[in-house]
Amino acid sequence: MLDRFANYLKNRLNITADQAAEAVSCLKIKTVKKGQILLNAGDLKSEAYFVNSGLLRYFSIDEKGKEHIIQFAPEDWMLSDRDTSIFNEESVFYIDAIEDTEVVIVKKDFFPAIKNIVPEILELNVLMLHNSIRFMQKRINMLLSATAEERYLDFIKLYPNLTLRVPQWMIASYLGITPESLSRVRKDLAKKHFR
Amino acid sequence: MEAKIKQVAAILNPPAPHMVGDGFRVHNFFPSGYKLEMSPFYMLDYNAKIEFSPRNEPRGVGVHPHRGFETVTIAYQGAVAHHDSAGNSGTIYPGDVQWMTAASGILHKEHHEEEFSKKGGIFQMVQLWVNLPAKDKMSTPKYQGIKQNEIQQFTLADNSGIIEIIAGKYRDKKGSANTFSPIEMYNARLNSGGKANFNFAANYNTGIVVIEGKVKINETEIANTNQFVHFKNEGEEIKIEALEQSVLLILSGEPINEPIAAYGPFLMNKPEEIQQAIADYNNGKFGYLDE
Repeated sequence: MLDRFANYLKNRLNITADQAAEAVSCLKIKTVKKGQILLNAGDLKSEAYFVNSGLLRYFSIDEKGKEHIIQFAPEDWMLSDRDTSIFNEESVFYIDAIEDTEVVIVKKDFFPAIKNIVPEILELNVLMLHNSIRFMQKRINMLLSATAEERYLDFIKLYPNLTLRVPQWMIASYLGITPESLSRVRKDLAKKHFR
Repeated sequence: MEAKIKQVAAILNPPAPHMVGDGFRVHNFFPSGYKLEMSPFYMLDYNAKIEFSPRNEPRGVGVHPHRGFETVTIAYQGAVAHHDSAGNSGTIYPGDVQWMTAASGILHKEHHEEEFSKKGGIFQMVQLWVNLPAKDKMSTPKYQGIKQNEIQQFTLADNSGIIEIIAGKYRDKKGSANTFSPIEMYNARLNSGGKANFNFAANYNTGIVVIEGKVKINETEIANTNQFVHFKNEGEEIKIEALEQSVLLILSGEPINEPIAAYGPFLMNKPEEIQQAIADYNNGKFGYLDE
């Protein structure tokens, strides 16, 4: 189903539904089952993923085997590993599916290739890149300076329904805190707000 | 005026099962398995008989929220332990019913009871989600743990068997559970050859889960173990004859004709109420419960 990605572009560019449909018509869909890996460390793949349905996770594994979640990508998010998708270097990260997921595969050449149909796409690509950098800057700042509660409150603003979709330990991993700290934060919030 | 027969609309096989947590292997008859008019019943998960191996750490579902409806769990085999953020807890054994009104919001967890988990064995349950009228969706949560020996029974003539009235009324016997809208819910335990008649208003949405055995319905249709019988919204009377020793879960209720907005564990009327439920859950307004 390419409609969702077409709609995503249409909402961000001054184009018609037909132009959007034409722009995405060359793209391929991929479905992955819960738990299946889309990208392994060491892979070389020049592709990004737009999530149609489901949920992806972008993470690293340290020397002790512990997972560290960098990013979640639910519906309407784009996810890619820059090492491999842009710089043609082996990925050091992993991408897997937390739920049964359907993605649109967006290759590196997609944006230049469709600029004849939609010239504004290059500007959108730059804007998305800046947005991604802004997101990472904020994320670094939260990890360096914010309390566990502040990180959690920021998380539920960004990903309101993920608390219903992913286990606590994954949220804790994303926030860079222990699952016990996350429990404590939630308990404290309940004390403050439970009527 | 003589009651007209409530005709069978469909006899449905259980859809492919899926796991809820690691403790419940359920066939979802509705709303995703089949599209059925069953309001006020919003969801029916049927854990058909399955054997669980012994395990020290009980299988189940961890802490999760609910708002806007009631969860009703009926045990047939095995045992389930429940804890919620309102401080209620209980264990249900075969024949028992747990009627939890999540209403304005609750956190709960459900696991195999510890001794059952350690021994392992056959497990069979039903879980229903019963919708609440809009005016009651934000009422105070409550919990009714109903033991089988507290449930009123009607003894059928001619050694046909018994009807256990969980909710509503059968003949002169009243159900144990308090409900927010008119609901009839019975376990019919019928002997082979036993007969029972039921009478529900034509507009009531009605269905039967065949938990055990094999029955003939309205003198014509045959339903087997693990099938769901869905009835039309015409006629009032249902005639059952057990062709073997049988157990049936009988469900009938007055439809709640209000808009539905459903997401995950929340069942409300409007999309903005779902957003509110998510925000309230995230911000701790449902309380706290240890894993």
